[in-house]
Amino acid sequence: MAAQPKPLHLEQASYLEGGGIYGWLTTIDHKRIAVMYGVTALLLMGLGGIEAMLIRAQLIVPDNHFLTADFYNQIFTMHGLTMIFLVVMPLETGFFGNFLIPLQIGARDVAFPRVNALSFWIFLLGAMVLNFGWIWGGLPNGGWFGYANLSEVYYSPGLNIDYYDVGLLILGVSSVMSALNFFVTIVNMRAPGMTFMRMPMFIWALLVTVILLLLAFPALTVGLIFLFADRYFDTHFYRVIAGATPILWQHLFWIFGHPEVYIMALPAFGMISEILPVFSRKPLFGYPMMAYSIILIAFLSYGVWGHHMFATGMGPVADSAFSITSMLIAIPTGVKVFSWIATVWGGRLRFTTAMLFALGFILEFTIGGLSGVMHASAPVDMEQTDSYIIIAHFHYVLFGGVLMAILASFYYWFPKISGRMMNETLGKWHFWLTTIFFNCTFFPMHFLGELGMPRRIYTYAPGMGWDFWNFFESVSAFFLGATFLIFFFNVAYSWFNGERASADPWNARTLEWMTPSPPPVYNFVTVPAVHSRDAFWVEKYGDVEASGLGEKRLNVDYLPPPSAEEIAAIHMPEPSLYPLVMGGAIFLAGVGMLVGWYRLVFGGLGLLAFTAISMSFEYIDWGQDNPHQVGESFLGLDNRKLGIWAFIGSECVFFASLISTYMVYKSRSIGYPDAQILNIPLTSFSTFVLLMSSLLMVLALAGYQRGDRFWGTFWLFGTAFFGCIFLGGQVFEFHDFYARGMLYNSNLFSQCFYTLVGFHGFHVFIGVCWLITMAIAGARGKIGKSRALSVEIAGLYWHFVDIVWVVIFTLIYLMRTIKHA
Amino acid sequence: MRPNLFDRARVGLSGVVAALCGAVLSGCGGGPYPMDTLSPQSDLTRAFTSLFKEITILDAIVLVVVIAAMIGAIFIYSSREGDPGEPSAMHSDVTLEMLWTVIPALILVAITVPTVNTIIKTQPDKWPANALEVRVIAHQWWWEFRYPSSGVDTADEVHIPEGQVIHFSMVSDDVIHSFFMPAIGGKRDVVPGQVNQITLTADKPGEYYGQCTEYCGTSHANMRFRLFVDTPEQFKQWTAHQLDGPVRPAGGDAAAGAKEWANAPCAICHTIKGVSGFSKQYAFGFRGPDLTHFGSRTTFAGSIMDNTPANVAMWIENPDKVKPGAHMPTLGVQGQQLTDLVAYLESLK
Repeated sequence: MAAQPKPLHLEQASYLEGGGIYGWLTTIDHKRIAVMYGVTALLLMGLGGIEAMLIRAQLIVPDNHFLTADFYNQIFTMHGLTMIFLVVMPLETGFFGNFLIPLQIGARDVAFPRVNALSFWIFLLGAMVLNFGWIWGGLPNGGWFGYANLSEVYYSPGLNIDYYDVGLLILGVSSVMSALNFFVTIVNMRAPGMTFMRMPMFIWALLVTVILLLLAFPALTVGLIFLFADRYFDTHFYRVIAGATPILWQHLFWIFGHPEVYIMALPAFGMISEILPVFSRKPLFGYPMMAYSIILIAFLSYGVWGHHMFATGMGPVADSAFSITSMLIAIPTGVKVFSWIATVWGGRLRFTTAMLFALGFILEFTIGGLSGVMHASAPVDMEQTDSYIIIAHFHYVLFGGVLMAILASFYYWFPKISGRMMNETLGKWHFWLTTIFFNCTFFPMHFLGELGMPRRIYTYAPGMGWDFWNFFESVSAFFLGATFLIFFFNVAYSWFNGERASADPWNARTLEWMTPSPPPVYNFVTVPAVHSRDAFWVEKYGDVEASGLGEKRLNVDYLPPPSAEEIAAIHMPEPSLYPLVMGGAIFLAGVGMLVGWYRLVFGGLGLLAFTAISMSFEYIDWGQDNPHQVGESFLGLDNRKLGIWAFIGSECVFFASLISTYMVYKSRSIGYPDAQILNIPLTSFSTFVLLMSSLLMVLALAGYQRGDRFWGTFWLFGTAFFGCIFLGGQVFEFHDFYARGMLYNSNLFSQCFYTLVGFHGFHVFIGVCWLITMAIAGARGKIGKSRALSVEIAGLYWHFVDIVWVVIFTLIYLMRTIKHA
Repeated sequence: MRPNLFDRARVGLSGVVAALCGAVLSGCGGGPYPMDTLSPQSDLTRAFTSLFKEITILDAIVLVVVIAAMIGAIFIYSSREGDPGEPSAMHSDVTLEMLWTVIPALILVAITVPTVNTIIKTQPDKWPANALEVRVIAHQWWWEFRYPSSGVDTADEVHIPEGQVIHFSMVSDDVIHSFFMPAIGGKRDVVPGQVNQITLTADKPGEYYGQCTEYCGTSHANMRFRLFVDTPEQFKQWTAHQLDGPVRPAGGDAAAGAKEWANAPCAICHTIKGVSGFSKQYAFGFRGPDLTHFGSRTTFAGSIMDNTPANVAMWIENPDKVKPGAHMPTLGVQGQQLTDLVAYLESLK
């Protein structure tokens, strides 16, 4: 790249110093990226809050004409989308997760620092696409759940739904990339001795959260791709007239959407589990059960999506099954609530603002959880779903629960992040006022729900018993909004003028408090071996169960600054411009797609490809410029290898969603063409070639592993060549089908076939590009025995793509005559 | 001991708890509101409500236990920073943990068993032969009701007889809607290309409110309906009346309006049986309500307005103003022409 980013100065005491604006733009330091996530999310929280105020202003009296119907629909949609995707998720994983994961596990950075920066830029640009309507007109207006077939062009002709569709696709890429990164970081980069059962509970929560993200988001991605095809290529994925059903969207959306609830809730559980012990001077109660319950909640969350669809008429068997699985989730959640209370029980409490918010969380979350039990019962849900009682329920969970936990975390971790304390007096005003007005705003929504007020209505008639409570809620909501001004002021004021924070202002238990506040770029000079839970506490007092009242064995405030030799021994990756450029390229392509300016799309994609290739030559094995791990990798696996395995897991869900859609829709497809058109002899040949390419891949890897550059490179080219033959076969096949009148949007069969097989072909294409890049690097002597791992990783991806093809070939081609009910 | 903070916390928390309890009490003791989900008037909604009450009681017990435990943990069994003595270091207790796993599980069993029973009871796969079928067809943004046994086709207001099994079979003409009649039948989504059912027996004559509860586009809020539970005699009369041909006005504005109707484009979408109409046909993809007995309805336009001449005139002048996004276009009918047309429509008793 032309402009070289400024190099790091490791002797600086704080990660916040130096670099200027350009330093922030090119940063790959997890702490700076976290701060950028935090600032962005707080600004968007202001925007989402204003949207909430507009909603309440419209509903303050019956038959109000403050907003038009259409604008109200846009505003409630944006309020949901903003708060979920642009505030809660980035604050939890992007801000606190990014900042705290390496610090809490004793690492210098995340596993893939450049990918981390790229995730942020893609997130930012996705947020801009979602909000593009503010300047271009027509914000998304289909609700955050964007139900088909209302989202079809026929019923929603504007760009509104396109911002939703493309914006969420982009945000999905960002989320999955972050999730992959954090997964590898947590699994592989923990300090020596920090086994799974010694990890802080916040890390447990995030580990499970990112697994949920990896395995849930692809389902939504597939749904969004179908929607995009329907809107731009006139396919019929959600169109009844072609035999499809709009309920497909609901399944795909909620298979993502329910785990999404826990993607938001689990980090909050983790935060509370960190804060309560510190301010109770007690270890977390029931640590193993707390960890297992997180895993159990996550596991169950995949089996409950149907409880969002009780009213759609799934039949008594499905209703019963989803009722039962939904009830089951209450058990591990109850374990958590009681364990938190037991953590406080018998402690020596300090009522800091963080502690107050954490205690408030327990109560509000419990109320939200209990009303959740009501909706889990399908017959009760027949009265309650899509009424205001649902709004009461999820605001108790997400505002009273998750947001309270986030606010607690702000007060708790702000000193570590900024080096300054937040103002406690303002904080306590903030807590009490927020708690009071939160309950005044949302508790009456239970009554409105019981009085039958539906959700998402911009107006209502007087005389339904709704007038008083709506007025009351609106007034409370305005006060609630005002209390956030106290919070924003406190954050901004304390960032610059707050009292200086010591390294360990709360007498805390986990490793992040061992570093200075704010931490240096490299986080830790040396990390102590971890011998138990609450590693820092043990370091200070010698015992997890110590009361913390005695003499400290270690006072981190008086540690000597690291010596020049110690600093010289630290290697950190340098800032990079690539993430920003790649994010910008994706943004240009996205905007070009939306406004129909296709030159911009190709320009953006071209820039992306150029940057990716240029980057892969610079870091031919991307591990080369990563932070020195403080300890050995935990699993003895390379980060990249673990990463590709996680990626393959995520891809499995992607292909499973595509394949199951094909299987369901094949039998509903109407007219010509059908599966009889498939040319099995030809495809058998390309299948054979693709399978053989896997063999060549093995030979290539073996070549590099024994240091045989020539044969390694030769077989790599061979693999890529076989891949090209397969692609050629596919191009021929598609061309032939088109000539025989099988268009992309002919019927359900053709569109499912082209989407599934086309996406597989796209994966093969990416693999071929990867192999050729690899082979050229090999030919130029850049891949030796020590870097054979890079080839192995490309090989894992290649084998995976082959295996997917075997499944597709079997189910779609060989079993084409089997009729499904 | 820091009494200030301690007292403030205690007062604040008990204030919140008191406010919540007060709010619950006042919220439950509401008046006879038309959309109240807790005044069931059919076998179906009574099953829903009794289950709701059971869960609410169990929920309340759990909430009281949690609040009591929190009060104990915060105010009684914990010390404050600065107090003498050591804090407890207890961080596991197998008995306790077993208890708070098993007891909630038992509570959930107590909820799940009646839940599954009610699901099976309320979603029968067959219904008695004498059940009255009512076909509900949802449109953006109004409800159409057809009675296959008698051939009645009406809109916005549905009539059913008390004491007879009613079988609603529902399908959407465009996007997904949800048919919600709180007192009589709860709700069920109305999906294009899929027939959903509600089977119930209403037991108290009266006028009930209903509304669409699945977001269905711009005027989702304006998609309401009325449900009239009639005595069997009333219902028989109503059906007979609906099957009569339309009123043919003899003179006055209404008669002039009848002539207007013949020339106006209204009939492209609206049917008046025996006068004009493309019944069962779709014009421009949209279809308006059957107006044969328009004057006999108490409300119109998705049941958002009372059926008065002034309201009908306002509606015809600019439907979009009354119901944003309405698919009925502004036809430019004005002045005497409008008065006549309204008079004609109102005469269609």
